[in-house]
Amino acid sequence: MSMRDHARPSAEEGANQIDLTPMLDVVFIMLIFFIVTSSFVKEPGVELFKPQASTQEACERGTIIFAVDANGDIFYNKNKLPMDRVMRTAEAAKKEAPQANIVVQVDRETPAYVVEDLIDTVRPILTAPPCISTDEEA
Amino acid sequence: MRKIARDQDQGGAEIDLTPMLDVVFIMLIFFIVVASFIKEAGVEVNRPDNNQPDDPEDSTSIVVEIASDNQIWMENRRVDIRAVRANIQRLLAEDPQAPVTVKVEKGAEAGIVIDVADAARESGVGAVNWASDR
Repeated sequence: MSMRDHARPSAEEGANQIDLTPMLDVVFIMLIFFIVTSSFVKEPGVELFKPQASTQEACERGTIIFAVDANGDIFYNKNKLPMDRVMRTAEAAKKEAPQANIVVQVDRETPAYVVEDLIDTVRPILTAPPCISTDEEA
Repeated sequence: MRKIARDQDQGGAEIDLTPMLDVVFIMLIFFIVVASFIKEAGVEVNRPDNNQPDDPEDSTSIVVEIASDNQIWMENRRVDIRAVRANIQRLLAEDPQAPVTVKVEKGAEAGIVIDVADAARESGVGAVNWASDR
């Protein structure tokens, strides 16, 4: 006797099997919604001692994240980048997510001119002022 | 063989959805978790184009200069970081629409720039411009 033979009569006689189709519809719609809205964030992956700010606000759709560490090295997606590859990287990221804005993570001791150069480099694709990532003031 | 064929005749139209549902649920939970994973917070700073003809410096903006030794200068006086906010507020009282322009020399650190931008935003400035002194 197979399992199917055993299960069939109970399902037919009891009618206690719940129809999963409507739930499946809802779940599928939620799934598609989250797939569409999710933007995969590539973290720079460097430990920084960020400047503190009391007026910080959420960076709207800030999902293209560059980091500049205290030595002035630029990181994106856990890789160190030379300045001349920043534009290509940012363009590729912007192509993938046209709504995304650029965030720059800085260290307190990051030389300011590197941040300036970085922002100047990506200026052609900026759609909003760049967001300098900060920590909340304690 | 005949037995299998008969089984399919009887109930073949009914597919067991449970394994698919398991997979879909796991995907759903994955995307929910990933969706709100990183929320960066920070300070938005305008970076005006140096080539633009309307230089913010020659308008009536409040200028804060940061020297290469991280000292802050306003109106040719050295200003402590804690006094920047009060100074900006005083200048803002004269012209409430004035933007703040931060002029940064090459050796300055980003932390000071953000501190000044934060002080400016605290005193209610609409826009903070980051200009370089080059």
